[in-house]
Amino acid sequence: MSTLTRPDVPATTTTPVPDLVPVVPGRAPAGLANLVRKELGQWFGTRLWAVQLVLWVLILNGITTAVMLDPSMPAGDVLAEAVLTFLQVAAALVAIGVVLTTQGAIIGERELGTAAWVLSKPASRTSFLAAKLTAHLTGFGLLALAIPAIVFAVTVGQVVVAPMATGRFALGVAVAGLAVVFYLVLTLALGTVFRGRGPVAGVGVGLVLAGLLLKGMLPPTLVVMTPWLLGDVGASLALGTTMEVSRATPIVATSTWTVLLLVLAWRRFRREEF
Amino acid sequence: MRTPILQVPTDARRAPPSADPTAGPPAIRTTAMGKRYDDVVALDHLDLEVPTHAIFGFLGPNGAGKTTAIKLLLGLARPTSGRAQLFGLDSVTDSLAIRARVGYLAQEPRFYDHLTAREVLAFTARFFYRGPTAAVRARIDETLELVGLADKADRPTRGFSGGERQRLGIAQAQVNHPDLLILDEPAAALDPLGRRDVLEVMERLRDRTTIFYSTHILDDVQRVSDHVAILDHGRLVTSAATADLLHGSTTTFDVEVRGDGQPSARALRQRPWVHDVAVTPGPVATALAVTVSDDDEAAEQDLLPTVLAAGATVVRFAPRQFDLEDVFLQLVEGDRS
Repeated sequence: MSTLTRPDVPATTTTPVPDLVPVVPGRAPAGLANLVRKELGQWFGTRLWAVQLVLWVLILNGITTAVMLDPSMPAGDVLAEAVLTFLQVAAALVAIGVVLTTQGAIIGERELGTAAWVLSKPASRTSFLAAKLTAHLTGFGLLALAIPAIVFAVTVGQVVVAPMATGRFALGVAVAGLAVVFYLVLTLALGTVFRGRGPVAGVGVGLVLAGLLLKGMLPPTLVVMTPWLLGDVGASLALGTTMEVSRATPIVATSTWTVLLLVLAWRRFRREEF
Repeated sequence: MRTPILQVPTDARRAPPSADPTAGPPAIRTTAMGKRYDDVVALDHLDLEVPTHAIFGFLGPNGAGKTTAIKLLLGLARPTSGRAQLFGLDSVTDSLAIRARVGYLAQEPRFYDHLTAREVLAFTARFFYRGPTAAVRARIDETLELVGLADKADRPTRGFSGGERQRLGIAQAQVNHPDLLILDEPAAALDPLGRRDVLEVMERLRDRTTIFYSTHILDDVQRVSDHVAILDHGRLVTSAATADLLHGSTTTFDVEVRGDGQPSARALRQRPWVHDVAVTPGPVATALAVTVSDDDEAAEQDLLPTVLAAGATVVRFAPRQFDLEDVFLQLVEGDRS
């Protein structure tokens, strides 16, 4: 039988609790592992994972399989068209899915009072945000990108019967996934700025739609500074083709925006009052 | 047969609040702590000291600033003036260390709907303990028993009633056996029996923790609190031991004598320790309200003999018991005027 002694408090004031081993503050933000576990539980301990998986396999693989089976498509272009479609749709539609799914991640918890409850425990605000980021990245990365990509690769082998450089395709998926990361961080950051879900969803979805509508109309020097071209860049990398604009610029720009938004979210949430 | 809402550990004992100055810093000390939202002053320079092992009632009408003060203590909001210390730790800079020693029940406790009561407690416990699994499970089972939720332990909390959520709230607040329990209106959502059980467990938990709770239910405070602070419009009206507050600066004795009470009143007014005697004649007896100034002991010993020496037949003699409601209304209304 042991005596509970919390390392952060004087031993004289602790309550003896047999056998329980207290959490020792370490290098990780306080409560991170517990919060990540809880957030992952919301993805994989409920039906959410099944709904998301079915949704994205149906959308992404349904659309791309239809492209592969299009009889009007020249045989030599089928693979390129399918890869381009997969990555463009992934970069845009999964981004919208991310915004709609996570619009209440911060605001919902604030409204409901669960954020105040969790933050009344020894859990840091950094952990609260990091756990959401980790869980949603895992959920969307796995269910909306990785598994549909695997299904796509298998389908290509069965339907197109053409060789596909899987390594390059994986790189293309990762680049398209950067758009998903950007929109996830944007949504979390907006959740720390706005009090209602409407502006969060509106700004996020509006930005995705603006990209679909405007990326061909705006000057390329401007468009490369946005995440709008990441689907095209991913397809270019997957297929080994060239682009008229630098492929690196959208990746670097989106990564930079993502980091800046993360810093904004962190700073805002650190000062948030509940 | 009704199951008690809260089953109290049998080994818990009542202990008096610590008055020993060498016992360490008080559980809570606020110094001119204030909170302002633009032009609205939610809390105005609150000076408060909560001794360890006290049951401290934080009393005030709705909107008085009680919840704001609690959120400042927990680091959920930042004071715009002054500071708060819990166990000598600063509420802003040492918030994590403070929260490791505190259990908190919100006014309207809400949890993640998809989690069961057991999962809520496991989630809470993991912030404090990393194992072993069997010991954590035992603590959770013990806590579920304590609040009478053992039979609902594996139901998702989305179906819980307000009272059940309140019980779970109390359970999660004390699953880590905190040094300080901060309860925001713990009995407000409960029926009278539930309230009674909550108050009972609060009394018995005094042995191992300090309880700071806000409420607007005066009966609850009078029943269990050994210290009271009254807040109104963000300002502290008073803070004192409950007994002192009820006692006041003067003591009144109610004496009823058969027939005319004037001779007794005259005799009493001759005594140096008598401050005032109010005479209220009745059809059978006369009521004397004798206010004594500063020597309660002399009054208790001499008052009755003085009345008897004046030839009266005493039918009732008792020190007056003030009700906290009277004191509260008097203080709050006096403060507002």
